[in-house]
Amino acid sequence: MSTNRNNYMNPYLAGFLLGLVLLASFVITGRGLGASGAIRSVVISTVGSLAPDYAGQSAFYSEFFSGASPLGSWLVILVIGVILGSFLSGALGNRLAFKTDRGPRISVRTRLMFALGGGLLFGLGAQFGRGCTSGSALSGMAVMSTGGILTMMAIFGTGYMIAYFFRKLWT
Amino acid sequence: MAPLIPQGLINPELNLFFALLLGIGFGYVLEQAGFSSAKKLAGVFYGYDFVVLRVFFTAGITAMIGLLYFNHLGWIDMNLVYINPTFLYSAIAGGVIMGFGFILGGYCPGTSIVAAVTGKIDAFLFIAGMLIGIFVFGHFYHRFESLYTGHFLGNIFVYDSLGFSRSWFALLLVIVALLAFAITQMIEDRINKTSPEQIKSRPSHVMPAMLLIAAAFIFLLIPEERKSNLRERSPEAMWAEIYDGNPFVSTHRVIHEVKNHRNELVLIDTRNKAAYDRFSLPGSVHIPLEEVLHRRWRSLFDKDPRPKVFFGDGSSGATMAYMTAARAGYDRVFILDGGLNKLFDDLFTETEIPDTTAYNLQDRSTARFLNEARRFFLEGGVAAREEEERPRIKAPEESEIIPVIGGC
Repeated sequence: MSTNRNNYMNPYLAGFLLGLVLLASFVITGRGLGASGAIRSVVISTVGSLAPDYAGQSAFYSEFFSGASPLGSWLVILVIGVILGSFLSGALGNRLAFKTDRGPRISVRTRLMFALGGGLLFGLGAQFGRGCTSGSALSGMAVMSTGGILTMMAIFGTGYMIAYFFRKLWT
Repeated sequence: MAPLIPQGLINPELNLFFALLLGIGFGYVLEQAGFSSAKKLAGVFYGYDFVVLRVFFTAGITAMIGLLYFNHLGWIDMNLVYINPTFLYSAIAGGVIMGFGFILGGYCPGTSIVAAVTGKIDAFLFIAGMLIGIFVFGHFYHRFESLYTGHFLGNIFVYDSLGFSRSWFALLLVIVALLAFAITQMIEDRINKTSPEQIKSRPSHVMPAMLLIAAAFIFLLIPEERKSNLRERSPEAMWAEIYDGNPFVSTHRVIHEVKNHRNELVLIDTRNKAAYDRFSLPGSVHIPLEEVLHRRWRSLFDKDPRPKVFFGDGSSGATMAYMTAARAGYDRVFILDGGLNKLFDDLFTETEIPDTTAYNLQDRSTARFLNEARRFFLEGGVAAREEEERPRIKAPEESEIIPVIGGC
């Protein structure tokens, strides 16, 4: 663990590089980075293909019927890039291993349950926020959008407000 | 110049290739920063590891200052950049729900993908949870819709919402970030009981912090007005053109156009809406001065090869429209010399057709032309044509030209 920690890049350098990637994204394509949009595309096209009648009843799935295929979508390709890039970095840093990351006071089982629940909330919240920490908060901050910065403050503000009650999970 | 793809400088088919490249960079940096560990990520809420705050804030500020520079130098047209729209309560509710998701799950969507790739089993569960969460949103979409689409405030900027200038806001954000870096480092050291020797042995961050403040401070000194694109012309060159009379189109030319239905000019009415609705030249399109640079007219100015002639009652409104358009780099824009007043004066002032002599052939033909046009106008030819032709050019729908779709 202690050797791993030293392997990580200096956080300010990492932030600077991430900022440059984000800037390049704006300069080349006119938009920021995002992650939850790709997962949304997966849900929409999966449900749309398996149960078109069900999907047809909700405006949420209109994207599916407008004919945008998930593989062709920009955000999905972006996430495929994320998978390649993080695999490369993990391999170079010797960090590829199957394990469950958890606080010292909880069991693996508890951790996995909370991960599932947390994912569910994050997936839901990212719809209302029109993006997650990267698409709404980070990219929104870079363009100084009011909505993006509000979402960012709400994510971290809520996190700090409730952290105490869930401290057993992490400390 | 930028953004390159919406401006058409790079083939849009390469868009997906760049998505892959950017994704690789994104994933690589996230993993390098240590974002593949939920325990490390959650540290930001408990004080034992503030790596999230450092990376996130540094990245946001780097990109923000970079965009400000590009914008000030005229290298990027921010009208073409996706600005996250603000749906007030939806943005806040989404953030609150995501805050709970972050504490419980330990990841956010991007980092969960990175973590899953490096083999974290909890991250796979987190991703499965996200799929369910999005499905739940879709299932109850009809209930959520009013919150989701309500209180739309536009694609607004936070400095406008706060009543700051953009430059001041950027500087303020940089200072807040630097303070946050310093304070969280102290908190982290106390919680982790870092020894004083270790703290002393760290490299100093004073220099980069000063550079960052200087980089943001510069915007206070340079004026907010900036070039919107690279083709912009200098005021001196434009004055020279006006002085030479180049941008003026004569009333006779426009009468000829209207009477003979030539369709060689784009006639642009710069007067107010009421005046345009009461009467305008047949086939003319209504673009008041304040709308000249509106992006929905850009394709008309950029793509339509015909000369665009601004007109008003006199010349002054049209000249202002001309200056605005020409300054922004639009080519082939002109002013109707003397405006509608001169046009009607020419038309409806009775003139005798002079007797033929060897010296006045030009005058004769002009007078004859005006006489014919007068008859044509008085007999209602224009009124009839106006009915059938207006509007020859329709204003494009706003939604058609928003070039990039958003976010995460």
